[in-house]
Amino acid sequence: MQIVPQEHLNPGVCVSDHNGRILNYDQTGRSFRLLLSKRPKGDRQVSMLSELKIGQTAVLVALELPESVQNHLMHMGFVPNALVTALRRAPAGDPTVFAIDGMEIALRHETAEAIRVRPATPDDLNVRLPNTGESIEDEAPELFEVVR
Amino acid sequence: MSACCETPAFVPPTPRPSSQALKTVALIGPPNSGKSTLFNRLTGLRQKVANYPGVTVEQRMGVMAGVGRDDLTLIDLPGIYSLTPYSEDARVSIDVLKGKMPGTPKPDAVILVLDSLHLTRQLMLAAPVLDVGLPTLVLLNMTDLMEQRGGHIDSLKLARELGAPVAQISATHGTGLDAVPLFLHQQTNRNAPTPLALPVMGNAASTHSWAAQVSRKTGYQAPLSVEGTRKIDNILLHPIWGPLLFLVVVVGVFEVVFSIGQPLSDGFGDLLARMGEFVRPLLPAGWLQSLVLDGAWKGISSVLVFLPQILLLFLFIGILEDTGYLARAALIADRVMRTTGLNGKAFIPLLSAYACAVPAIMATRTIENKRDRMATILVTPFMTCSARLPVYMLLIAAFIPNIVYLHGFLGLRTIVMLGLYLAGFVGAMTTAWLLKSSILKSSETPFILELPQYRMPTLRSLGIRLMDRANVFLRQAGTVILSVTLALWVLAHLPVVHVAGSAYAAPELADSIIGRLGHFIDPAIAPLGFNWKIGIGLLSSVLAREVMVSTMGTLYGADPATQAMHLQTALHHDMTLGGALALMIFFAFAMQCTSTMAVVRRETNSWKWPAIQFLYMLVLAWGAAFVVNHAVMAIFG
Repeated sequence: MQIVPQEHLNPGVCVSDHNGRILNYDQTGRSFRLLLSKRPKGDRQVSMLSELKIGQTAVLVALELPESVQNHLMHMGFVPNALVTALRRAPAGDPTVFAIDGMEIALRHETAEAIRVRPATPDDLNVRLPNTGESIEDEAPELFEVVR
Repeated sequence: MSACCETPAFVPPTPRPSSQALKTVALIGPPNSGKSTLFNRLTGLRQKVANYPGVTVEQRMGVMAGVGRDDLTLIDLPGIYSLTPYSEDARVSIDVLKGKMPGTPKPDAVILVLDSLHLTRQLMLAAPVLDVGLPTLVLLNMTDLMEQRGGHIDSLKLARELGAPVAQISATHGTGLDAVPLFLHQQTNRNAPTPLALPVMGNAASTHSWAAQVSRKTGYQAPLSVEGTRKIDNILLHPIWGPLLFLVVVVGVFEVVFSIGQPLSDGFGDLLARMGEFVRPLLPAGWLQSLVLDGAWKGISSVLVFLPQILLLFLFIGILEDTGYLARAALIADRVMRTTGLNGKAFIPLLSAYACAVPAIMATRTIENKRDRMATILVTPFMTCSARLPVYMLLIAAFIPNIVYLHGFLGLRTIVMLGLYLAGFVGAMTTAWLLKSSILKSSETPFILELPQYRMPTLRSLGIRLMDRANVFLRQAGTVILSVTLALWVLAHLPVVHVAGSAYAAPELADSIIGRLGHFIDPAIAPLGFNWKIGIGLLSSVLAREVMVSTMGTLYGADPATQAMHLQTALHHDMTLGGALALMIFFAFAMQCTSTMAVVRRETNSWKWPAIQFLYMLVLAWGAAFVVNHAVMAIFG
C-alpha cells in the first residue's frame, strides 16, 4: 500500500507511478488497478486501443511496449495526444487498421492491447487537427491524466 | 533555376566556392517516400521501385548523369524512420550516412526526401539527419498530389526552420528536379545546415513534438486523406469480398498466363524453331551442325519459349506491387502467418519470392528479429519462383488434358498449376511452423504494417520491370544454359566409337558418358517414376531450375529416336503420368538454385544454413515425389 500526498487525493484523478503506469487512488489513498471486468460501463471502458470499435476515435495516452517497438511506433505517429481512429478489421478479424496522422497502419490485437488511450472529447476533436497532431512539450500527459 | 519551375526553392545565401570538390551524395528518407524513383530520375538507372515500404534493402550507387553531373556519385539507401538501427536495412542506411560502411565512400552531402503527404511525421527524420552536419537538401516529394488534395506548405519558412534549402518536387513526374543541380552547384564548400532548434536526439517524443512544431510554424496543411483508397479498401478488405477477390486475382493471373500466354509462347516457340531451320543449311552437315542446332539451340530455345508467359506473370506482379495491393494481401494473410509463428513482416518477402527467391531473401532484412528473419530465409525457397514456371508449363502442357470448367473460366491446367503453388506455400508454412516451434523459437514481435495509398502504376515503371526481367532471362540463357547444353552435348557424344570401316561415330546415347552417369543414378530416382534422362535433368538443374528444360531439350534432341519430335511429345512417350506429377512436386519442394544458396550464405554468413536447407528440401522433395508417383499409379493403374 502506498501513501499519497493529500493534494493528489481528488476523486476521479489517476496518477501514474514511476513506470508510467496509471494508478488509481481511492479517498483513503490506497492505490489499485481496476480489473477489466469491474470497469464501469460507457465511454470510460475504452482504455486500450484494442477496445476501440470500428469508427471510434480516441486520444492516445501512452505506449506500454518495449522501448524499441515504442520508438518505432512513435516514428509512425503513435505519440501521446495523437488522435487514433479504428478504421477496419482485416477479414480474419485481426489485425485492425488504424488511421493516425493521416496514415493507415495495421496492428495486431496484442500490440493494440498495450497502447493506452482515452475517449476523445468534443474538445479533442475540435482543437486537434487529426493530421497534424499537437505539440506535447507543455504537457506531460503520461504523468497526469483526467478521466471523466 | 529555369522559369518553368512552378515549385519555389529556397536556397540560403551562397558562400564563396572553395576548391573542395563534392564527390558523393546520399539519398536518405523514410520508407516509401520515393527515394528510388528519384534515384532513377537523377542517374538514369533502373533501380526497382514499388508502392510499399521496404523495397530497397541495400545501398546502390550511380553516377548522376540524369542531371549532367557525371562527376558525382549518388547513393540510394533503404528507407529509415530514425537513426537508431532497428533492422538490417536501416543499419545499412545509417552506416553509409555516417561513413562507416566498408567499400562505400562517406557522403559529402545529403538529399533528404520526405513525402509531403505526411510531412509532420516525415519531419521526425529531418532532425537526426540535419544533426549529422552534412550539407543537406530537403526535397518534399509528391507535392503535386498534396496540392491536388488541398494541402499546403510554405517551403521558404520550412527552409528557415531547418536551416537547409527546401524544394518541392514530384519524382514520378520529374518536376522541380532542377533544385538538385542548383544545390550541388552551390555546395562546393560544404556549408552544414544551421537549423533554428533541434530536439533531444534519440528521444522519439521530443522529436515528434519538434516536428509538429516545425510543421505548424511553416503553415503545413496536411492534405485530406483520399476517400478513394478507403472506398477501394471497403471492398478489397471486406470480410467476405476481400478474401474472395484475393482468390479471384490469384486464379485470374494464372488463367491469363495460360490462356493468353500459351498461344504467345507457342508462337514464339515456332519462331525460334524456324530460326534454327533457317540457319541449318548455312552450317556444314556433321558434328558442328548437330552441336549448334540439336545441342545448343534446341536446349536454349526450349527455355526461351517460356519468356512470354514469364513476362505476363511479372506484369501482374508489377501491377500488384505498384498499386499498393501487396500490403493489403499481407493484411489478409496475417492470420495464416501468425499461426505458423512467422513474423507478419515476412509476408512481403515471401510474396516477392513468387518472382525470385534471391531478392526475396534480401528483402528479409526489414525483419528486425534475427530468429524471425532466419526462419523466413529458410522457408523462402519453397515459394514458387518464376524459374519453376518453365518446368511446370512444359509438364502440364505435355500431360494434363486441356479440360475447362465453369464455362471456360477455370481450366484443369490452371487447377494443377495452382495446386503446385499451393504445395510450395504449404511446404513453406509447415517448415516455418516446425522451425518456429523448435530451434528458432522467439518471443512474438509486433506486426506494424503501413498501408500505402493506392496509386496508378505507371507504364514506365512496368516497362522497366519487364525489360529487366527479360534481360535477366536472356542473360541466363546466354551463360548458364548455353554452357550446360554445350557440355551436355559433348558428354552425350563421347566416347567416340569405332564403327566398321574407318569412321568414328558418336556412341548410342545410353552408352555415352552422360548415359552411363544417368544409369548410375537411376536406382535413386527410379522409385519416383523418373528415367535416367530426367535424372540428368535433375542433376543439371541444381544450377538453376530452368536448366531442367534445356537439358531435356538437348537430351531428347540428341537421341535419334526422339530427335524429330516436339519436346512435349517426346516426354509424353517417355514418362508415365505418375512420373510427371512426381517430377512437378519434386520441383515444388527441391532447392535447385545455386544463386539462392549463394545469397543465403551471404545473408547468414555461413555455409551451414544453405547446406541444411538443401538437404532438408531434397529429402522432402524425394519423399513427396515418391508418394505422388505411387498414389497416381495406384489410382490410374
